[in-house]
Amino acid sequence: MLNIKELLEDIKANPYKEIVIKSPHTGAVEFADIKPGDKVRGRSGSYSEKPGTLLANLTREKNRKPINAPEKGEVVNIRTELEGKFVEAGEELLTIRHFLTRKEVIELILKKALHLFRAPERAKYYFIPEVDQKLKVSGKRSVKVQDGMEMLIVSRMKRETPLAYSGPEGIIYSVYFTRGDNVDAGEPLLGICPEDQLTTIQDVVAKVQSEWDEE
Amino acid sequence: MRIMKACAQLGHDFICLCTDVDRECGHVDMARELGGDSCVYTISNYLDANEIFSVADHAQATAIHPGYGFFAEDFRFARRTMSRDRSMIFIGPSWWVIRELGDKINTKRIARSLGVPTIPGSDRPVYNELEAENIARNLFDFQAAQGIRDGMVLVKASAGGGGMGIEEVQDLDQFRSVFRRIRNYAKRNFNDEGVLIEQRIFDFNHLEVQVVSERGGRKHVHFGTRNCSVQSTGKQKRIEVAPGFAPGDLPYAFDAAKVLEDITHHSLTMAREVGYDNVGTWEWIVTPKGEPFLMEVNTRIQVENGVSAVISRVGGEFGVNIIKEQVRLGLGGELSYDQEDISFDGVGIEYRIIAENPDDRFSPCSGAITRFGWQEEDWLELSTQIPRNRVYEIPMEYDPNLALAIVWGESLEQAKERGIRFLDSVVLEGESGGSAAEFRTNIAYLRDRTANLLEF
Amino acid sequence: MDSDKRVQVLKDRLTYIEDIFGAKRVETVELLGAKFGEFLDRLPVMDHSVRVREFKQIEDLFAFVERKLETELTPMDRVRIVRHPQRICLKDILENVYDNYTEIGGRGEFNIDPSMLIARANITRRVGKKVINQPVMVIGQEKGHGEGFRNGGSAKPWGNAKALHYMKVAETENIPIHTYVSTPGSFPIEDYPGAAQQIARNLYEMATLRVPIIAVFSEGGSGGAEAVGLADRRLMFSHGYYSVISPEGAAAIEGRLRTGQRATPELVEKCAAQLGITAEDNLRNGYIDRIIQEPSLGARPEHYDFYKDLRREVVQATNEVVSSVKSMKLFRAMALKNRRRRKGSLDPESIYVRWHLSNKARGRLLEKRFQHFREMSHHAYEDGRSFWDRVKSGMEPLGWTIHSWFSYGLLRRPRKHMEDFMEEMRAEAHLVREKVVRPVRGTLQRMKVVRKKPSSRIQERAREELTRLSCPEEGACIIDDSWLWMSPRSQEDKAVSCPNARTHGCQDLWAPDLFAEFAGVCTTCGHHFPMEYEWYFYNIFNYVEATEFNADIESRNPLGYEGFELKLDQAKKRTGRKSSCVTFETTIDDIKVVVASLIAPFRGGTVGAAEGEKFILAAERARKKHYPFIAYVHGTAGIRIQEGVNGVIQMPRCTLAVRRYIDAGGLYLVLYDTNSYAGPVASFLGCSPYQFAVRSSNIGFAGPGVIAETTGMEVPPKYHKADQALSRGHIQGIWDRGEIRKNLYQALLTMGGRNLYYR
Repeated sequence: MLNIKELLEDIKANPYKEIVIKSPHTGAVEFADIKPGDKVRGRSGSYSEKPGTLLANLTREKNRKPINAPEKGEVVNIRTELEGKFVEAGEELLTIRHFLTRKEVIELILKKALHLFRAPERAKYYFIPEVDQKLKVSGKRSVKVQDGMEMLIVSRMKRETPLAYSGPEGIIYSVYFTRGDNVDAGEPLLGICPEDQLTTIQDVVAKVQSEWDEE
Repeated sequence: MRIMKACAQLGHDFICLCTDVDRECGHVDMARELGGDSCVYTISNYLDANEIFSVADHAQATAIHPGYGFFAEDFRFARRTMSRDRSMIFIGPSWWVIRELGDKINTKRIARSLGVPTIPGSDRPVYNELEAENIARNLFDFQAAQGIRDGMVLVKASAGGGGMGIEEVQDLDQFRSVFRRIRNYAKRNFNDEGVLIEQRIFDFNHLEVQVVSERGGRKHVHFGTRNCSVQSTGKQKRIEVAPGFAPGDLPYAFDAAKVLEDITHHSLTMAREVGYDNVGTWEWIVTPKGEPFLMEVNTRIQVENGVSAVISRVGGEFGVNIIKEQVRLGLGGELSYDQEDISFDGVGIEYRIIAENPDDRFSPCSGAITRFGWQEEDWLELSTQIPRNRVYEIPMEYDPNLALAIVWGESLEQAKERGIRFLDSVVLEGESGGSAAEFRTNIAYLRDRTANLLEF
Repeated sequence: MDSDKRVQVLKDRLTYIEDIFGAKRVETVELLGAKFGEFLDRLPVMDHSVRVREFKQIEDLFAFVERKLETELTPMDRVRIVRHPQRICLKDILENVYDNYTEIGGRGEFNIDPSMLIARANITRRVGKKVINQPVMVIGQEKGHGEGFRNGGSAKPWGNAKALHYMKVAETENIPIHTYVSTPGSFPIEDYPGAAQQIARNLYEMATLRVPIIAVFSEGGSGGAEAVGLADRRLMFSHGYYSVISPEGAAAIEGRLRTGQRATPELVEKCAAQLGITAEDNLRNGYIDRIIQEPSLGARPEHYDFYKDLRREVVQATNEVVSSVKSMKLFRAMALKNRRRRKGSLDPESIYVRWHLSNKARGRLLEKRFQHFREMSHHAYEDGRSFWDRVKSGMEPLGWTIHSWFSYGLLRRPRKHMEDFMEEMRAEAHLVREKVVRPVRGTLQRMKVVRKKPSSRIQERAREELTRLSCPEEGACIIDDSWLWMSPRSQEDKAVSCPNARTHGCQDLWAPDLFAEFAGVCTTCGHHFPMEYEWYFYNIFNYVEATEFNADIESRNPLGYEGFELKLDQAKKRTGRKSSCVTFETTIDDIKVVVASLIAPFRGGTVGAAEGEKFILAAERARKKHYPFIAYVHGTAGIRIQEGVNGVIQMPRCTLAVRRYIDAGGLYLVLYDTNSYAGPVASFLGCSPYQFAVRSSNIGFAGPGVIAETTGMEVPPKYHKADQALSRGHIQGIWDRGEIRKNLYQALLTMGGRNLYYR
């Protein structure tokens, strides 16, 4: 059994995630009126229609585009030396320290508690249609998996091959990949919860819910 | 790579673009070697024209070479290069030429207007069912009259491409339903109901004519023909041979020399008509009876240009570099020789070494290359982006091409023999999914196919 | 009356005065309050006679103050009066004006829409010795006395649908309809049947509802009012208002306020004063027919005399309408007229007019209704056409009518008969040939007398067809070279981001590609960037060969709205046009059509008197010439608020014209582009059976800001997108910009009524 308290304490010791904002493409950078220590917020609104705090503008081919904060947090450092300069794609612009939300902490702990089914190779993954349908209709946790069951489709180099699940029987508790994104070999794809442990897992969730104070 | 070499040879400064995933590739190494660290720029996506122009402006570039794919046949890219506020030279034909020849239907019509043979069938999108049926009936009758048994008609969406929305029809009874199906398919998927109806041609050979023209579109020469009939199931070329046929060495059921002469002649006629003004390839198919039909025009330099170069002599001199010619002419250089100055010598074979499994529908193979080596010869030219000093991870986003080898021989016999000798000397090891056994290449396939090259 | 009750009544009167005048007449109200307070203090110690005297005094004081305040009423005070919970409501009217009634579909809040009340009511009276019972259908918004579920009389779309349903019932039963308009505006919700679309449907049906309709306005708030307001007689309470928009709404627009901000009371007052919303204003402009005088400071439930007046007025109005279309009029009509001149000479209750209408009378009723609205609002625009033009435009239609009659009526039929006959004959001949000749030829073939073999000549021809250039006259190159008219934005060397880039991963597009070749459509996700109206004019409506007409009918500032003159001049200068409505005749491929368009650059494509008039003239032209009629809405923000009711009245006016056109057998097709909102959508656009939208356009009743302001709801970001409108059933299709011309031509061939010339 996991020592949840300890895990929580560990996370509490460093309850942050550093988010590095990189330039999405080439162009000239102008930073918005922000300085280290400033609080920023991510996308919000009931339909998440309001973009996050403006961090910088990137102008390419006379088209000025905003770069907004992806998450709530605090600006740690800004590479002000780049102000007004041309940057290549992927250049680091600034760093935001993001205080973990309850949901993220739960995910972190669950990653340790659940049985993780990992990617055998770097590729794009998605569910086979039947499973996908079921997940969409009834939500995750509705799909039970067992060893040898064909679950996923591995897509690489325009070719698709099925992939069978291996590991203990259980239900899908978490999904760690998004359709269309590459997953590196060894990264977790699914978090599986054996059915007899379901209550323990739910306890974990409840515990985190009560013990984690969001900033 | 060969473009950077050409630039370096011509004494032009250049910049090179890479993305996050391929910044470790050999071509970037070479760029750094030839042009220094500052000439390499990281961009987000090769397919984003804005990235290219943005970097070009920053580096104050004066011309853009679009490479082999992506933007090379995109007339809008060429147009934008030329007509933006800070205009640059597009190394390739002028945009209006690309546009005219980029459209297959339009190419067919231009060809027909000049009496250049094209595949029998419609040369415009057909919308009317009665008209379509009439064409199909004529096509069946026509094939029957030619003595073709079991003639077939292709029905395809005029706005489609890449094998989408194409069906074969075996007799007129089927035709109507297939026509309707394709028309509806085209309407749904391409928002255009236009349908093309053509004769389906079997067992053809795929030939190409390498054309080189001066800026201004007034002077045109050709650098011979190539035969690109060895292709994967996905119609990707695997071996190219120059010249297109070997009438001296092999027997043909038709006058092969005349076919080669005809297609080069027709290609140049068209180049003159449209005012072609850079390097391009006229693609032909030749039926077993020796009838050539124009397929399309590639308004760009192709990967296989090297195999034409290796058999070409200008003023008897060896060492034509078509890419170098392209850059030079693209920048406005003069075409200082005539067709008479160009002669051909021997046979060239180009192999594309690819990490794939030819036995399983040429499925690409991912993984890493651990060892790559071959025997250097003076009749061999090999270019690869694989770095020799470290393990190379095959990038997943692009085709798993590993190397391009060009072998030259005095005769077809010698070229084939050298080709096999080269392939035998290649050492290529890697792993896929953690195992060396899973790693597959097409080298055995290439050797296999070398035996009866150019036979038809 | 015992003194407690009297005190209570006085207390109510005081609160009422406070509510209405609150902040403005502080001294008067305070003085009155103080006096009343003193009176209340002294009340317990008064003996009976003093009490009687003092009551009389204080009541007189109240009456005096009320009369004084009455003379100082501002338009905004009137707005507060009609919205006050003590204002008489429809229930009060039903109870006190009619003799008995049955409410239909309502029991308090258990009602499909408690803000729309419907009742079958009777007016019973004694004429001579006979007791006469005359049924009417009463329909109107119910505010209740501040009951929350009534929503302030802001009817939902389904409430308006219910109203329409029972108007149709009244039509079937051949009884008059009395509508009571008491709404601040319709509830701006897009769910089916849709706020705008249902109002449009109501207007469209009321245009030819074959029974007399009498409307009484108390609170006439824009679109919601029109949903039950298109009537043969329109009466109005003297303290009511009838306006294009609520004064607060006008102030919010005027002050360019963002959501959540509130306009200052001064600005709201000012807007109310400028919009011409009072009964007098509307009577003067001809938008109502008669004012019903209310007691000082407006009618409240206890004003029993007022009900009597109201009853007399509605009976009178119904009598007038009916007798004006009846063939048997005689003395009663005279008597009715007479009464009008000398008020009170004869009680209308004593004149009995049967309200049942014959078929012919019903026809006359509709004609009168049409003319009534057709004649409105001519003062509110500038007819810049020369005298000669006007004469011509008066004469021309006659010519068209005659021409149409000859070519499509008189000559067409025999020609058609002839053609039909020939076709039949050909078919017969073909059958005979097949039946007789074929077997013979078959036999011959079998006997090998005739050998069937295509000659080599035919073979050669077929071969040529397959390998030679087809249609050489078109040239070898058939690439369609871009568009006739290209946006000036295509001249700019810059990249443009698609708004869907985040969700669809669209790449930045180069403006010269995007706005020229791609016609403003994102190549990745198909998002349509808005294009200039000229793009459509030239590339779709063949504007080069079009004849524009009535270009000189000009928008003006009929209410003298402050600062509007200048804005109008700027719009005229910038667009070179005199109104936001451009009407022209053109050909689409080979079909001649009349196009009326609303263009966004001219004051947001808003509709005022000039636009309405041009639209109607275009519809009439299309009717007389037997052409299809296309409304192309490049963009419209609604009715032009600065014109007040002069604008709103275009809703019924244009809808009537459209209805006439459609009934005459035409094809009325609407094409929405960019943004189309409010009044026009809720009337002459939304009523079309064939409405199409350009992809990525927005269609709706009220914008997201207004919805948040009036309902407190936050709407999702893509609430008004065309695809949403399509799934709600508001429009009939979405067209991609590149295919509009093709689709339009197809639509012209496959849709529409019997009177189109090319049918």
